[in-house]
Parts: sequence; structure tokens; C-alpha cells
Amino acid sequence: MRALRLAWLTVVRQPARSCLGILGVAAVGALLFDMLLLSRGLILSFRDLLDRAGFDVRVVASDTLPFNGPRLEDATALARLIASLPEVEAVQQVRVADAETASGDFRRRIEFVGADPQARPMWTIVAGQDIAGRGEAALVINRHLAETLRLSPGSSMSLTGRCGEAQGAPPLAFTVAGIAEFPFDTATADTVAGALSAAGRLCGRTTEDTADLLVVRSRPDAGADAAAAAIRRARRDVHVVTSDDLVQQFNRTQFSYFRQISVVLATVTLFFGFLLIAVLLTVSVNQHLGEIATLRAIGLTRRRVVSGIVWESAMLVGAGGILALPLGTALSVWLDRILRSMPGVPTDLHFFVFEPRALVIHALLLAMAAIAAAAYPVRIVAALPIAATLRREAVS
Amino acid sequence: MTPIVEARSISRVFPMPAGPVTALRDVSLSIAAGDYLGVVGPSGCGKSTLLHVLGCVDVPTSGMLLFHDRDVGSLADTERSRLRLREIGFVFQRFFLLPMLTAAENVELPQAEAGAPRAERRRRTMELLEYVGLAARADHRPSELSGGEMQRVAIARALANRPRLLLADEPTGELDQGTGEQIATLLDRLHADGTAVVVVTHDPAIAGRARRLLRMRDGRIVDEAPR
Repeated sequence: MRALRLAWLTVVRQPARSCLGILGVAAVGALLFDMLLLSRGLILSFRDLLDRAGFDVRVVASDTLPFNGPRLEDATALARLIASLPEVEAVQQVRVADAETASGDFRRRIEFVGADPQARPMWTIVAGQDIAGRGEAALVINRHLAETLRLSPGSSMSLTGRCGEAQGAPPLAFTVAGIAEFPFDTATADTVAGALSAAGRLCGRTTEDTADLLVVRSRPDAGADAAAAAIRRARRDVHVVTSDDLVQQFNRTQFSYFRQISVVLATVTLFFGFLLIAVLLTVSVNQHLGEIATLRAIGLTRRRVVSGIVWESAMLVGAGGILALPLGTALSVWLDRILRSMPGVPTDLHFFVFEPRALVIHALLLAMAAIAAAAYPVRIVAALPIAATLRREAVS
Repeated sequence: MTPIVEARSISRVFPMPAGPVTALRDVSLSIAAGDYLGVVGPSGCGKSTLLHVLGCVDVPTSGMLLFHDRDVGSLADTERSRLRLREIGFVFQRFFLLPMLTAAENVELPQAEAGAPRAERRRRTMELLEYVGLAARADHRPSELSGGEMQRVAIARALANRPRLLLADEPTGELDQGTGEQIATLLDRLHADGTAVVVVTHDPAIAGRARRLLRMRDGRIVDEAPR
């Protein structure tokens, strides 16, 4: 009977104690797993949203985030220049305008995304058609707006620009061509997309050639970094960021809180897991000192007895760690739903995202916890004086 | 006859906070194949310490212990473990069976440690359980056995690797008189079958069965009498 089998029998034949340990490890393991999913979840999800738009380089007028800074002037010429670069496959001008529509007795605020109808859209059509080839009066609207205003492809819609000092532009009539999903939409956002020129016309600026940003798709053989470098060489006055740059920037700033929280909570849960197993094994060892001394007395080597304890720890942590995965996954879905319901969070942005790396780190951390937890009981067993223990146990 | 184990002027001193306690003082003793030795004496006289030293679970502070002419003091911990595994059987007052193992698995454990093949282990285990009259309880866990049954399983475990020397420390101490008699009869049978037996006991009935009787007091052998 090897140490592994002895440990296995110890675990399976003391089901109450083992279940307690395994459930405890599963609970802390689930939290640990969730913290690992959270630590990089936003970054992975954000990256996915950026990639989903189909562009890997963004050009803006300043180093602020898109839509927060000044607009790019002479945007058409800039887009042509960038499109002519050998590293670039496609360029799309994007101009966002604030608009509103009448909804019963009140005005409903709407974000109008203007883009070149002929270019690949940054949204995904889920019903009806895209705006390509349908003229300046065609719109795609998001699902929330469609459901709220009961609009469907073919419906008419009137939009008025909210233009600040240029308030007073007449409303424009549009026809809904389709219903689309926008990557960065929040659950309550009302978003529409139409022709770039229509975004200007909303505020009566028919001759203005500006854009909030240009989105660029690099050629696959060149890559985003090469395309960004080429654009910087061509126009030193604009700010160029790749998707990688944006992800890193968010990782350093906006998302760092979640990462720090997840690191702290992961450390705490891991420590609790360690304590749980350490206490369980230590109590178990102390309860069976007589038996352990007897094992040594009948000829089992110190190494064999010690390895039994380590195996037992590994089994409890291993079983708990495996059980932690479905438990943690279910918990992460629940927590993700709660966090995503916060105002201003894009619907498709997830806080908890699975990646194989998390599984590996989870296994490694639990293995470390198992070894550390076994250290003290192992020390007790390794240093156990056989004769003195037998004498003490006989007297007690 | 060549002794199995020979103690030469051994002493064992335990350092204690209140001052050292000498449990064995200059004890010399030889146990040969076929011996049946009873060790008696008042509590604290060093009987169990002597048994532990003879069983190589404790080392003398001074003196020399020879097991088949090998100085046990010069052996590494692993070698002493191997010696105990193959040459010595232990029976304790409180049985110390592993509670999560069945009777058969408890008996099989030292054989597995000694590397016996599975089929051989199974055969030997059943043979030993039959020997102690517990073949029918092979699959019972210690919690399902009576005190006498547990002690008989402990004896079967001690015999698993065919030791030349069986050391029993108060083997009937936790048993009623009738059950103690059964255990004593079993020890007689073991001795008759060729195993050297050393029994530490307070029970005059058990001591009376030994062929040699050692009386101890204050860590010394004060009387040794063949019977």
C-alpha cells in the first residue's frame, strides 16, 4: 500500500472530514478563480470589443480619448492620405453627434454615429439592412431604441441636432434601414448610425470637414504598429494609437482598480484556503499521533509517512480546486451580471472573462497552498519522536 | 545460540525541564531465537523504555545495542526503519490500528511497505487473520471490532513480515481478563511457533507464561529468573 493509496483511503473513509475540507477549498477556490478572471477580464473583453469593430489603429486630434478632445480638421484629406499608405488597408471617418427625437411628450437624447456608408461598418446588423447604398437619409438603430420607440426596418424617424451654440437646426427625416448592435453600447444607450455627412447636417454644418476620429485597418502583412508608425511619419500633428496602446492605457488607468482589488482578494482567499487545509491537516495529525508513531514503529520510513500527509493535502486541495471551477464559473456569471448592470457600462463589456491562463494560475496557486498547508503538519510528523509519542499516547 | 538482539550496558536519560530523568541504567540483556521474556516492575521503572530501545524506536544515551551483531546506533533512520519493518513486530496496549483501514488492510500495510507482491500480501494477510481467529472480520474497520479483536489484528499486523522478535507493551492492559487470556494464549502460540517474544506487563498471569522473567526497578534489572 503506497503512500498515495493510504492517503486516498484516509480521504474517502473519513467522508465528513474530507467533504468539509473539500467544500471549504472549493469555496475559497471559487473566489480565487473569480479573482483571476476579474484581474484580466476587463482588458480581455475591452480588447475583444476593439477587435470586433474591425480596426486596429485609431487617429485622433490629441492624446485624449476619442470623443473627448478636439476634432480632426480636414478629415477627408487626412483619410485619403492615410489610405494611400502601403501599410493601410482601409480608413473610416467617424463623427459623433448629439441628437434628439420626439418621444411622446419628451425629447429623447440619441447618439448619432456618422461614418462612410461604403466602408465596412463598425456595427453588426441584426435585422434589416445596413445604410450602404441607401442615401443620406438611411439609419441603423440599436435594439434598445428600436424596442423603446417600437421602430423596425422601414420606419421613419426624425432627429434634431443638439448643437450647443448652433441650436435651432431643423429636424432631419430618416428611414430606419436596419437594427444593429454597437460594440460599446450600454444597456440604456440610444444609438443610431448614418452617413458621415448626415452627422454634419444635424447641426447645419454641411461644409464642415471634421471627424472625431479615423479608424484604420492595417494590412495583415504590415500589422498595426507599422501602420501607426507610417501614419505618424506622414502626419506628425495627429495622435495615433493602436488597439494595443489603448488596451495598455486602460490597463494602467481605468481598469487598474479592478486588477488591484482582484490581487488583494485573491491573496486573502488563498490565505484562507491555506489556513483551512493547514488547520484540517494539523488537527488530523494531532488526533492520530499514536497511529503515526505506530506506523514509524512498524517500519514505515519518515519519508513515507510524510508523503502520505502531502498526498492527503494534495487530494483535498485538488478535489476542492476542481469543484471550485464550476462553482467559480457560476459565481462569475452572477457577479458579471451585477457589475454590468452598473450605469455607463457597455453591454458587451465583461468583467469576468475566462482564459486558459487563469486555469493554469489557479492550479499553480492552489498547489502552492496545498504544499504550504502541509508544511506544518509535515514538520510535526517528520520530527515526531516515536518512543516518546507512544509513551505519551499510552499514558493519555 | 546467537542472540537476535543484545543490549550492552545501555542507559537512557531523558532531559526534562526539572532535571534529567534516567529511565534505564546500565542494562545488559540478550534475547535469542525462541526466547519468551516477561518484563515486570512498578510503573516508571523503565520497562517500556527498555522495550522501545530493544525495538529500535529509541536510542540509548550510552551503551550499545546490537541487532544480529550490527550496532543499531550506527544505523541511519531509514536503516532502522527497515530493521523494524523486517525483523521486529510491535504490539501496543492501545492497539494503534489505523482507523480508516480495515483489519486486512492494517495487516497488509507493513507487507506493502516491505514490497511484497499483492497476491502474496493477500494470501499472507488471510493466513494471519485466520491464525488470530479473525478471518471473518477481515473487512471490518477497527471501530467495528472489540478490544480483544483489535489487539488480535494488531498482533497479526506485527507478524506480517515474519519478524524474529515480537515486542508487546502491556498487550492486555486495555482488555478484560477473559480477552486478556485469549491474547496471552496467542502469544504462547507465537512463541511455540518460533518467534522470540518480549512482553512488558503488569499482569501476573501473562508474566507467568514467560520462560524468563525480568524484574526492573529504577531503570535497572534487579532480578532475572528462568522459569
